[in-house]
Amino acid sequence: MTAVWIVVAIIAALLIYLVLAYNRLVRLRNEVDSGFSSIDVQLKRRADLIPNLVESVKAYAVHESSVFEAVSQARSATLAATTLPATAAADALMQSAITGLLGVAEAYPQLRAVESFKALQDELADTEDKIAAARRYYNTTVRRYNTMLQSVPTNVVAGATGFTRRAFYRIEDDADREPVAVKLGT
Amino acid sequence: MTLQEQIRSNRLRTALVLLGFAVLTAALVLVIAGAYDPSVAGFIGIVAIGYGVFSWFFADKVVAAASGAHPISKDQAPELYRAVENAAIGAGLPRTPDVYNIQDDAPNAFAAGRNPEHAYVAATTGLVAKLSQRELEGVMAHEIAHIRNRDVRLMSLAAVLVGVIALVADMLMRITIWGGSASRNKDLGPFGVIMGIVAMILAPIGAALLQMALSRRREYLADASAAEITGDPEGLALALAKLRDDTTPLHTVTRATAHLFIESPLRDHKGLRSSLGGLFDTHPPLEDRIARLAEAGGFPPP
Repeated sequence: MTAVWIVVAIIAALLIYLVLAYNRLVRLRNEVDSGFSSIDVQLKRRADLIPNLVESVKAYAVHESSVFEAVSQARSATLAATTLPATAAADALMQSAITGLLGVAEAYPQLRAVESFKALQDELADTEDKIAAARRYYNTTVRRYNTMLQSVPTNVVAGATGFTRRAFYRIEDDADREPVAVKLGT
Repeated sequence: MTLQEQIRSNRLRTALVLLGFAVLTAALVLVIAGAYDPSVAGFIGIVAIGYGVFSWFFADKVVAAASGAHPISKDQAPELYRAVENAAIGAGLPRTPDVYNIQDDAPNAFAAGRNPEHAYVAATTGLVAKLSQRELEGVMAHEIAHIRNRDVRLMSLAAVLVGVIALVADMLMRITIWGGSASRNKDLGPFGVIMGIVAMILAPIGAALLQMALSRRREYLADASAAEITGDPEGLALALAKLRDDTTPLHTVTRATAHLFIESPLRDHKGLRSSLGGLFDTHPPLEDRIARLAEAGGFPPP
């Protein structure tokens, strides 16, 4: 009789462990997902600044059509991206396009003196900071999630219930680059 | 210690604080019942229970009122708001906490609230004026870390419940010295007075020890979390060094709210610290915290 109870207790403990491990994996995976959508929110916010930015630069630098083209392409890429690689690629595209755009603006001192342009630049710098923060959070959660996924014995639960590793958010050339320096003059 | 472990430990400690509050008030009620009048004691007991329930929901509001913190808009403090927003995103909070201002030249800050959905951070005017944006981001990340680590409810409750114990003990002291209805229950009188004195000595000490138990490791952990949130341990270390070197006293602080702040505002105040050494310190020494950050970040301590 006692032996039966011992077996029952062991099975119950095992079940409780499985449920807890599974729930922890679910929670971490949800954190990864919300981390990614947080990056997405900030990237969209940056994309929303682009039309106004282009307008103000266009008013001074009419002939720089290739720069405007690059920015608007990056913007549509950002808005269209849904997966992680596409989002990261659009992010990289946007960074270099914005660098180009601000490089053009650099040549026009009158433009840099316009209040609305300064405000836009400031907003852009702020958004860059927030993108960096969101990226940091995402990568932290991915690290936690992947570690949990590979740890014994959670890896058994994860394998049996179909959890897969997630990729870090990286922008092309290097792992975690500094946000683009968009503060001109100041 | 992982975040989940910290959250679990905070839940346990919250229960302990509530239990401690209940036991201490029960003891006070018994003393009053013995020395004075059972009906008065019963009334106080009911008030205490009501106060405990009220504290659960409104401790953060009480703390704001006690420390003179008022909500401000983004237009009034854009740098502070940005620092808070960035830290909230970096910590993955579900929403950006409200931002409060304390009109005081002493640089200091705290966070309070019930959970990440209902929380705020408060910064003094002096903090925003004296710190660079990078340092401000570090300090705000520390406060956001308290919110994310679920420290805030425990700390807010401790402030409000501990505060009231000190208040009741002070009141009791006055009654014993100046006499309330002490003429009744003559046979219990001297005994009750002795009990009263013991309770009055013990209550603040218990309260202070409670506060101390809350804070120390929590501060190290919040520093480490802040470094993770901003990816810049040196920013916070520089800020802490500035707080260390600044001697402006904070005016609105009380024994009940001291443990909330990023840096102990009772430092250098006469009385508490000088008479009892480090016993009542709610915070680990700043030097120690700076050294730990420096070690983690691999830069010379500022």
